[in-house]
Amino acid sequence: MRLLSWHPSRAATATAAVLALCLMLPELLPPYVTTRDVLQPPGPEHWLGTNDIGQDVLTGLLRAAPNTVLIALLAAAAALALSIPFASLTVTSPRWLQRTLMRVVDVLQIVPSVLVILLIAAWVQPGLGGIALLLALTIWPDDVRVLRTAFRREIARENVAVARQLGGSWTYCIGRHVLPAMGPVLLGLFLQHVRQAALKTAGLGFLGLTDPRLVTWGSMMQDALDHLHTSAWIWLLLPPAACLTLFLHGVLRAGGRLERSGQTLTTGLA
Amino acid sequence: MTGQSITRHMCLGLLDRIVVFLLLVVLTFVLPRLMPGDALDLMLSSDMARSMSRAETDNLRQSMGLDATISTQFLTYVTNLAQGDLGRSIQHAAFVSDLIGRALPWTLLLVLAALPVYLGISVVIGIEAGREPHGKTDRAFTGVMTLLASVPPYSAAVFLLLGFAVLWPLFPASGAEPLFPSPDPLSRSLAIARHAVLPVLALSLHEIVRFYFLTRGEAVGLSGRPFVLNARARGIGGWRERVNYFGRNLLATLLARMTDSVAALFGAVIYIEIVFAYPGIGLLLYEAILSRDHVLLQGIVLTISALFLTVNWVLDAASANLAARG
Repeated sequence: MRLLSWHPSRAATATAAVLALCLMLPELLPPYVTTRDVLQPPGPEHWLGTNDIGQDVLTGLLRAAPNTVLIALLAAAAALALSIPFASLTVTSPRWLQRTLMRVVDVLQIVPSVLVILLIAAWVQPGLGGIALLLALTIWPDDVRVLRTAFRREIARENVAVARQLGGSWTYCIGRHVLPAMGPVLLGLFLQHVRQAALKTAGLGFLGLTDPRLVTWGSMMQDALDHLHTSAWIWLLLPPAACLTLFLHGVLRAGGRLERSGQTLTTGLA
Repeated sequence: MTGQSITRHMCLGLLDRIVVFLLLVVLTFVLPRLMPGDALDLMLSSDMARSMSRAETDNLRQSMGLDATISTQFLTYVTNLAQGDLGRSIQHAAFVSDLIGRALPWTLLLVLAALPVYLGISVVIGIEAGREPHGKTDRAFTGVMTLLASVPPYSAAVFLLLGFAVLWPLFPASGAEPLFPSPDPLSRSLAIARHAVLPVLALSLHEIVRFYFLTRGEAVGLSGRPFVLNARARGIGGWRERVNYFGRNLLATLLARMTDSVAALFGAVIYIEIVFAYPGIGLLLYEAILSRDHVLLQGIVLTISALFLTVNWVLDAASANLAARG
């Protein structure tokens, strides 16, 4: 896949295209409403059948797709937006501050994030933005160590030393010299976060902890649980489960390609 | 690391975990109070008697301690917690600690039973695949594992339930034991084991993938090392090569990764108990969320966190010790 060879403009175009598609798709789709055709098997009228309150499964799948993708992209971007400045501070700040910041990261890393997410989600039933924020807040501490190592490596290079010598500030050096060189690492982390976030979003949907108006593949699977004893599971359970697995698999493969191409060594499968 | 620095590492680690626990205590206290209304409003709006006079509600509010200032409420909350009093669940009409005490053994049974299953399977096939990188076995196992890596734990659990309890009813679909357990201890434990098979399998599946990739990666590294090449040249193969040359060198890495694994297990077990209606702490948590039983929810979150942080600390200390031995 040529798209994945790292290039900032290409990555930006791809992201913009995905975003535009996500925002436009719901406008183009038929409404996801209840009808009298309850639990219809797949047929010419409803290609993937209907659920127990007569909603078209295919429409649901297509409506859930942009939600899941948007939340995953938003959460991944927000996590990096938090961890990059933090990690750069842990490298450039005075020694005592570095030590304090790393202690903070140590503490945040052992927070049982699943429980915190569950607890907060149970109270507020977050929508799209809320879930993304919640996920980003629990994901970013895990990045800091990886980023810190990468920052250290890049900062030790000559171009940074020269720029510093010529009076460039740290913000200038990091923006112009360090971050561009860290592209592959950042992309690797981004993809890893997209996967994590999609997995957790579907999980929250599966538990019914998201805003009930937000259709996700996870919540569609939850709805299918009541119909395991009839044949309805074939069109209620399989499509959302397959979509979710395909999406996760796609992101995983993309990350794997990136890694095999030898551009990044720091991100693992986890 | 020297002995002294290990002690220091352990003390700091303990301190970190105490800080995290205190943060969670504060979070469980603050969160409900940030929401509009209080516990009593929530109770009255959901069900129970609607026609209560102002004096009656004020009375109730006072008896629930909700009229006190925030600082007094927090002080009561913390003192109660310190005495091990997690409060009472109104919905279950029982003490939270009793409910948790009844559910926790089932969850521990699942987790402890899954541990040897996934460690055993993933280490064996990971070594087998990593012994000869890019060989036939390696490609086959890695292909399957890459696919499995994209199946979330709840999907895996649902499909296991569907396959082996509904379509082909080999195992019971729900619960931890029959409604009327047999008085004979042997047949009772057999029934419990039968009920645990599918949940344990679902729980293991997720972790098998993680540990497979870890073991394989390490084994690939080891297979290129001189001492392994040397041993192979001397004709050492079979079990001896796999156990003594690969297995032993993997221990430290595996142990270091157990800390992550415990967190993942606690997360996954919630979904798995819900799918299999297994009466453990995950299902209790889910019921608490559904019935808006926030006292129970807080109690469970704090209990699991305390348990998790302790296990996490012990594993961390153990892997630091092992790393020090080299």
